[in-house]
Amino acid sequence: MIISVASGKGGTGKTTVAVGIAQALEFCQFLDYDVEAPNASFFLKPSIKNIEKVSMKQPYFLKETGADFSRCAEFCHFNAVAFVKGEVVFFPELCHGCGGCILVGPRGAVREKDVEVGTISKGISKPGINFLMGNLIPGSMRTISIQNKMNEYIDRDGIVIIDSPPGTSCPMVTTVRNSDYCILVTEPTPFGLNDLEISVEVLKKLDIPFGIIINRDGIGDDCVENFCSNEKIKIIEKIPNDINIARAYSRGTTIVEYQQQWKDRFLGVIKGIEKETN
Amino acid sequence: MKLAISSNGDSLESSIDPRFGRCMYYIIYNTDDDSYEAISNKSRQATGGAGIQTAQDISNKGVDAIITTNIGPNAFRVMESAKIKVYSGITGSVRKAVEDFKKGSFDTISSPNVGSKFGMGSGSGRGGRE
Repeated sequence: MIISVASGKGGTGKTTVAVGIAQALEFCQFLDYDVEAPNASFFLKPSIKNIEKVSMKQPYFLKETGADFSRCAEFCHFNAVAFVKGEVVFFPELCHGCGGCILVGPRGAVREKDVEVGTISKGISKPGINFLMGNLIPGSMRTISIQNKMNEYIDRDGIVIIDSPPGTSCPMVTTVRNSDYCILVTEPTPFGLNDLEISVEVLKKLDIPFGIIINRDGIGDDCVENFCSNEKIKIIEKIPNDINIARAYSRGTTIVEYQQQWKDRFLGVIKGIEKETN
Repeated sequence: MKLAISSNGDSLESSIDPRFGRCMYYIIYNTDDDSYEAISNKSRQATGGAGIQTAQDISNKGVDAIITTNIGPNAFRVMESAKIKVYSGITGSVRKAVEDFKKGSFDTISSPNVGSKFGMGSGSGRGGRE
């Protein structure tokens, strides 16, 4: 079973929840899909056994052929190619590597090469967490290329926890789309609610069951609880606004290591999800 | 000579749109016969590369120079390749810009004057990471 942990708003406690659940389970697979800013390793402290390079196809244009590349420029949805006054201008940082310019461009004048976009680190976190972390090269836009590669390593036999990037754009969608259940972590503030609503919309569209964990419960107002009760969305757990949890976190200590009760509470969350999805 | 001026509206009385890549309109002005054409900028809503696409469209129109307030690095690179002169930092109405241009009061620039994503405005939030 794949459980993704997402949020919408950044900094609500996705990683707190994701690593907490992984530690509560003791034996599971954990994947950090926030490849632009992976941080779960600070808490799970895995011993990394292997680092794999991820590369992507990138076009290059044989300018000396003097060919007309205007169709490549017209085709590229990401505006990575311009063709002006007989000269092709290519912006690799905007290229998504779809290969469309090769298909529509002048035959033989657009070629592909492999370009490194990041790495996937694999290791073990005690006692039995099979840990994977994606890491994107700064400046690259190929977030999804790394996530798609990580998808190949998912072991569906056990429980899989995936830590999602914030937001609700492609990197978040790619993370949650294959999951059997998504935990949305939010904080009870208008900002938290605003992004929560967008995340809920995404998950409904993707038809993925989900529940809410409210983090820093006690701050803000009751807007998130009202929203959940109106929309009949389940609040599956609440983590109180406790400075000692934040202190522990800032030292790389997980909530489960800090307070034993969270092991049982997260196991309860997993039990509830198993019941709901079966 | 053909000019393209980034504009907030479709007339010469419109003010210059400060964003080049995401301008509302660009006005193509021919200084030879003082005719002009206002073109709604379809690249304005592009998720990325708006400046590149706008520059491509303007180049396709056979423009010799552009007048705008702010131009970013990507659009600027396309302009250089297209050998289109860039007059940036210009504000006020489109008509005044054309008149000032004719008087020769502008200097071209040799580098972009704003960074990438300058014209994205608010509302893209963290969803704008991709």
